[in-house]
Amino acid sequence: MKHWTITMFVAALAAVTGAAQSLDDLNIQIHGYATQGFVYTTSNNWNSMNSSDGSPAWTEAVFNVTAQPEPKLRVGTQVRYFLMGSEFGNAITLDWASGDYKVNDKFGVRFGKVKTPNGLFNDIQDIDTAFLWSLLPQGNYPITSRTSILAHYGGVVYGKLPLGKQAGKLEYQLYFGERVLPAGDGFFVPIIEGGAEMPNGLTGPTSGGTLRWYTPLNGLLLGVAWDREDLTGKFEVPGVFNGENIDAPFKIPYFFGKYENSKWMFASEYSRVPADHKTMVTSDIIPQAPPVGTILHNVIDHRTWYAMTSYKLTEKFTAGIYYSSYFDVKAPRVTYLDSTNYPHYWYNRFQKDWALSARYDVNQYIYVKGEQHFIDGMNFGFLDADNNSLSPTSKQTILKIGVNF
Amino acid sequence: MKKLITVILFTAMASIFAVRAQAQVIVIANPGVKSNEISKNDLRDIFTGAATSLPDGTRVVPILLKAGTAHEEFLKAYVGKNDTVFRAGWRSLVFSGQASMPKSLEPDAVVVDFVAHNSGAIGYISANAPHEGVKVLTVK
Repeated sequence: MKHWTITMFVAALAAVTGAAQSLDDLNIQIHGYATQGFVYTTSNNWNSMNSSDGSPAWTEAVFNVTAQPEPKLRVGTQVRYFLMGSEFGNAITLDWASGDYKVNDKFGVRFGKVKTPNGLFNDIQDIDTAFLWSLLPQGNYPITSRTSILAHYGGVVYGKLPLGKQAGKLEYQLYFGERVLPAGDGFFVPIIEGGAEMPNGLTGPTSGGTLRWYTPLNGLLLGVAWDREDLTGKFEVPGVFNGENIDAPFKIPYFFGKYENSKWMFASEYSRVPADHKTMVTSDIIPQAPPVGTILHNVIDHRTWYAMTSYKLTEKFTAGIYYSSYFDVKAPRVTYLDSTNYPHYWYNRFQKDWALSARYDVNQYIYVKGEQHFIDGMNFGFLDADNNSLSPTSKQTILKIGVNF
Repeated sequence: MKKLITVILFTAMASIFAVRAQAQVIVIANPGVKSNEISKNDLRDIFTGAATSLPDGTRVVPILLKAGTAHEEFLKAYVGKNDTVFRAGWRSLVFSGQASMPKSLEPDAVVVDFVAHNSGAIGYISANAPHEGVKVLTVK
């Protein structure tokens, strides 16, 4: 699927450039933005940063080129440099590369490596310049897994259907293709911390969609989304056994709503990940390992939600607050030692977070953000490898500057 | 009674000024655009990237003013956002691969010239700016 979508994208690019008489015909646009963050945490270091002493190891830069030779056809690509701490990013990756053919407002199709439109913010969660928050609620939008979950190889079919003057509009976005979680993705950090490895990451079919009802009340939208993942990959506990991840497809529902006017914004979202991650032992290395053919289960039921609001105090200054909650219903609320004597702390399996945020737009190109988090629970970003001992609570201060063009 | 008259006079004055504020901006379109009028909702959808066609099926391309009083008045009257929020909304679309940034031009004469010579173009200018070669859309 990955090779097929890249081939289609290259073909679209060739068609676009072949048909153009000059560069003007292509309507080429170049845009980009860059951000520099500074993070300070009390008690615990965060995401491989030395944040308890204050760390500037959070940098992003995006470069975007699009061409639109005709009103219905657009081709573009976007690359990103992302650095977080010593373990995440520090590489240039492809955000998306796609061809988009929009027949009309009711039907269009996008293919290539494309943003995955689910939830309220999934396809824009990495666009720091677009919103108030320095960090979106991590239970729904974990920053270290962002690269993998915000785009897929395949396509999106989209459109907006008018429902009549008294009923608003219904926007649909349906997607299909292949999801690729590379071996270095932040999704695997807890697995690696537990002594296991996913040497090839996870790949497999993905599909889903989002329905957004733009209600007759101007500014109010309500939505549902669903995501189906069928991912497989190798699973190893070095020196103990090798295995193959044989997950049954799992489905993630999302429910969300948002209201905004010229001053206020209110939004809330809930999602749930119930899954039984199954691993089949394919070779046992030591006698104590589970026998070949044994299926190991890791049953999870992650539930996460947030509620947020912001207010535009002046034309340039916006402030907001959110509360987010994440927990695994299946996880025991006690600290225990596993069979290899590795401790699993109870406060690693949930996270509640109050965030106060502010943004000042110096002009249309430059902005600064400040954010204060009050975190209870250490599920996102507080790693044993970065800390001598983990405290169950932490405060986190973030300062950011961004430029865009 | 005195208070009531004062309130009525004040309200009337405020209404007059509100109408004058709206009348300071006019919406223009390429002569090839079929419609002679456009609803406020459709105008907002076009200029926020939520729609690319008018209800009559004409594909339209929004053209922005770079800055200035007419630009601010247009955003306030028809989009309901200030320039910062308005452009942030477009950046969401551009950086997620869903749209291209609309052209921003200045001054009014350049906008008029572009709209006059580009099929489907729709823009806005100061009400007192010359606008030969384009049609004025009534916003209802």
